[in-house]
Amino acid sequence: MNERLLGILVNSFPRLLLYLFKVTIPLTVSIFTISVILAFILALIQVLDIRVLKTLTRIYVWVFRGTPLIVQMYIIFYGLPSLGISLNAFPSAVIAFSMNYAAYMSETIRAAIQSVPQGQIEAGYMIGLTYGQIMRRIVIPQAARVAFPTMFGSLIGLTKDSSLAASITVVEMFKTAQQIASKYFEPFALYCEAAVIYLMLNTVLTLLQAFLERKLTWKQPKEESEKIPALQADTE
Amino acid sequence: MLEVKNLYCSYGSMEVLKNVDFKVDNGEVVAVIGSSGSGKTTLLRCLSFLNKANSGTIIFDDFKKDITRLKKNDIMKLRSKMGYVFQDFNLFRNMTVRQNILEGLVTARKMDPTEAWKIVNEMLEKVGMSHRAEYYPAQLSGGQQQRAAIARALAYNPEIILFDEPTSALDPELTREVLAVMKRLAKEGTTMVVVTHEMSFAQEVAGRVIFMENGVVVEEGRSSEFFTSPKEESTRRFLRLSMQEQDYVI
Ligand SMILES: Nc1ncnc2c1ncn2[C@@H]1O[C@H](COP(=O)(O)OP(=O)(O)OP(=O)(O)O)[C@@H](O)[C@H]1O
Ligand SMILES: [Mg+2]
Repeated sequence: MNERLLGILVNSFPRLLLYLFKVTIPLTVSIFTISVILAFILALIQVLDIRVLKTLTRIYVWVFRGTPLIVQMYIIFYGLPSLGISLNAFPSAVIAFSMNYAAYMSETIRAAIQSVPQGQIEAGYMIGLTYGQIMRRIVIPQAARVAFPTMFGSLIGLTKDSSLAASITVVEMFKTAQQIASKYFEPFALYCEAAVIYLMLNTVLTLLQAFLERKLTWKQPKEESEKIPALQADTE
Repeated sequence: MLEVKNLYCSYGSMEVLKNVDFKVDNGEVVAVIGSSGSGKTTLLRCLSFLNKANSGTIIFDDFKKDITRLKKNDIMKLRSKMGYVFQDFNLFRNMTVRQNILEGLVTARKMDPTEAWKIVNEMLEKVGMSHRAEYYPAQLSGGQQQRAAIARALAYNPEIILFDEPTSALDPELTREVLAVMKRLAKEGTTMVVVTHEMSFAQEVAGRVIFMENGVVVEEGRSSEFFTSPKEESTRRFLRLSMQEQDYVI
């Protein structure tokens, strides 16, 4: 590797990291947060079987899973201004991504909620819990555990897919790499460098997932179970 | 204490219970027997409103009402006097044994946690599960799970406990430990309805036995007489078959 190329790579690295932390990660985190909340509401509407809303939800899922994300982004960023609604690139990307991801995630969450055995719900009723208490204390915690790996997979997918936002002029890490690449005519090196940074980010996330999944099982190591526990089931 | 009259229940177009009359007195242990598919589970589920009956009257002490016209409140109130022990335990998988038992006291009945804690310890003691209080269901044997489930049903001091084949998911060893707990409850005067295939248990513990076939009660009687001199031909056939089966097992 020649010195010039090495210099470009070394000099561009902090700049790419800057855009990773300044744009890519905030973009990913906002999209993920919004889409999880939205997906949860969509899933609940279906599980609770709320008549009219349920039909609307099905239509929503059908439309947003059935059309490409990039088309949705173009409609919001380039299309809506002609209807008098002009949004900046970043919020346009957040809206399009969130609506698209929520459509997929709502199916994951719905399936997870429905995977909790009916018998536990009946047992809940028999000991005097209300439907709301059963959902909050029994169904949702177990559904969360079931949905967790898939949801985390979506998060990892999102860190990479967020580069699609570059197509509607959001300057995130990939777009920054693109700019540097065209400035120095070194596309191969710069795109590889961007790839390495994505890979580093997702290595961290993958390790985090494994760690959290271990935390989330309802099993206790033997030593711990011998200890006298703190009073846990108090409040609410 | 608990009584249903003219109970009808169906799944879709298939009638499962046809004009069943059923009554349990205070302190009584009633065994419900009958071949698979005869409607025993459905009967318990109608009594606890987990299934909707088509028609019938429910009487609980001085409460009496058309079973199809119960309000949400009625159901809550009646259920609060009942315990239900399921064939497959149905412990809450995300909670330890202790939390499972606390749930009906603290979350449902808003009991003071310190008080509830004491009751839970008593219940754990009663079913011999004190040493497994902080275990999750996934870490327990079937017999331990069922004993925990019994403790959960006992904790809020129901007036009657309904058992649906509490041991049929267990091997003989584990069956014995669960039956031992149930025998103790019977001795203490707990009112119980027990759907069971354990004829020796019915014979030994139940005061009264009810035999069901195809959704009707064919015969009922004091267990001392029921097993020695059954009146109906179908009862005799059923008893003969199940006694034989039991000989094989032992
Ligand atoms: N959820 C259901 N949907 C449709 N039919 C059902 C359902 N549950 C039970 N049945 C039918 O109702 C009839 C009575 O079933 P039930 O479970 O009450 O029998 P059971 O006496 O408890 O049998 P077992 O000894 O096998 O538990 C059976 O013919 C069964 O096929
Ligand atoms: Mg049954």
